[in-house]
Amino acid sequence: MTASVTPARPRALTFGNVWISLALIAVMAVYPLLFGKSMNFGVSTLIFAGLAMSWNLLGGWAGQTSLGHAALLGIGAYTMTILATPERVPAFLGGPLAPWWGALIGMALAALLALVWGSLTFRLRGSYFTLSTIAVALVIRLVAINSDWTGGSEGLFMPELPRFLGLDLFDRQAEYWLAFAFVILTLIITHAVRRSRLGYALQAVREDEDGARALGIDPTRMKVIAFVISAVLTALGGSLYAIYLQAFEPHTLLELPISVQIALMAIIGGRGSIQGPAIGAILLAVFGEVFRTVFANANLLIYGVLILAVTLYAPDGITGLFTRGGRKLGTAR
Amino acid sequence: MDSAQLTAFTQTLAQGLLTGGLYALIGTGLSLIFGVMKVINFAHGDFLAIGMFITLALFRAFHLDPYLSLLVAAPVGFALGYAIQRFVLARLGDRLSEASMLATLGLGLIISNTLLLTFGAQPQNINVPYAIQTVQLGGVQLSIPLIVAGLGTLASIGGLNYLLYRTELGRAIRATAQNPLGAELQGVKTTNIQAIVFGLGVAFAAIAGVLLMPLLYAFPTVGENYTTKAFIVTVLGGLGNLPGAVVGGLVLGGIESLGAFYISNNYRDAYGLVAFLLVLLLKPEGLFGKTVKRV
Repeated sequence: MTASVTPARPRALTFGNVWISLALIAVMAVYPLLFGKSMNFGVSTLIFAGLAMSWNLLGGWAGQTSLGHAALLGIGAYTMTILATPERVPAFLGGPLAPWWGALIGMALAALLALVWGSLTFRLRGSYFTLSTIAVALVIRLVAINSDWTGGSEGLFMPELPRFLGLDLFDRQAEYWLAFAFVILTLIITHAVRRSRLGYALQAVREDEDGARALGIDPTRMKVIAFVISAVLTALGGSLYAIYLQAFEPHTLLELPISVQIALMAIIGGRGSIQGPAIGAILLAVFGEVFRTVFANANLLIYGVLILAVTLYAPDGITGLFTRGGRKLGTAR
Repeated sequence: MDSAQLTAFTQTLAQGLLTGGLYALIGTGLSLIFGVMKVINFAHGDFLAIGMFITLALFRAFHLDPYLSLLVAAPVGFALGYAIQRFVLARLGDRLSEASMLATLGLGLIISNTLLLTFGAQPQNINVPYAIQTVQLGGVQLSIPLIVAGLGTLASIGGLNYLLYRTELGRAIRATAQNPLGAELQGVKTTNIQAIVFGLGVAFAAIAGVLLMPLLYAFPTVGENYTTKAFIVTVLGGLGNLPGAVVGGLVLGGIESLGAFYISNNYRDAYGLVAFLLVLLLKPEGLFGKTVKRV
């Protein structure tokens, strides 16, 4: 590494970041007015924007690259759907649960899984953690494919759902605003983490784990906390995604490419910045839509080309090209 | 255990070990690359897919015997790997460990999706008369392609062993693995050596692809599964540990085959993953390693 003269100091909080977030929110708020016909695209894009930002709490701020987030997404989707389906809900609950309770239980389960998974694997550094995430997610996928209570390889159908705050959950307009709320929630949490003790500790751990330890920070604990927050938000996104899909199967929802997609959206967008992952998700969704007729189902080609270009020419992602802050957060090593 | 049960056991184990030989071949390539450059190659299975599709294309175009495509697939794999190390990975500099993971992940996506655009998503196979023939060996029936695969694995790993420990190039490779700066000071052109090593690793994956083609259907994302297998094999054996990768491959093949036979075939892929997680958590240096190589 090249010697840096001044140690990377966390920048003073400026309004720059907040303005970008507000601009992002404004774009999302205007979208239904301009493109009311393409709500499918809008909903899925926003869900993935939120998922990429959730991923980034662990992948960007804690610097732990997970390629297993599909499992957490799946826990949110499966828990909510199973608990809402009269034929599948466990007998002791005495009947189907409303989707919001199902989503909360899914989030709790995801938190529990992340707690155990993180405590066990964060002792390993770098690529070992990434390899373990692939393995855990694949095991969960195999369980989902081979169990009866998950609907096996045929997956699940969303049953009739009660109205949520007066909204019909199968109305794309309503789903759009729920996804919008999900993105705003991840934005707020990311902003909050950034200016908290946790945020600074995570950055310290990411830049120099031994140095952080010497300062009295417990790296494993910090990473586990980041993982739990990331997992809870991802499970929430999973519940929303299940409502959006209405029917899903393990071969589409729990596969490695979904995990890879979420991670690459965040990394291509810029894992060092707050809004980078959301911007990456939106850009990739737009690219995918533009090239859909050219590439058909080979749309991951764009992800491959972009991640290669990013690793070679823009290590801090697309937003890193524009913000000095993003650059600083991303490279010091 | 009566004789019928014993035969079933031997049969299952023999098939598992032969499949495990192929896993060993795939894992050796991955482990070699890691051992020399500390790069975890996430595109490894996709290079295997390239080997499969080269075999498929040559068979379709010229009716070339699948095993003769080794003469094409291995050099193509080597050249591809050489070029990737030289023009992509070598340019990542000191960010290597994390950036190389992402770069190879991207390369893998580019390969699998290009294959998808070229050959379509439909699983395809080739029909050679000997693909379904079996040989009786001491009460155990084994299919000919599986035996050829076993022999091919032995030859490749034997050849690699000769190269590494009996030639001047092998000495340079080992020196680069141990201490790149020291090797450079002794006049070893390490950039070239690293490119050769990546080429060898990719060639091994392509060879495995050729050997698998008479046994399996080829489809563009077939590599994903084998990338995972390669990770399992190398972690079982210890990252960068070549003899470990061979044993790891055999162990994985045996676990899968016996687990599928005696426990449940549905969870065939899970046994290896669970073994992998246990080794990662309890003994991250691998089953046989003494030195801890934390990445």
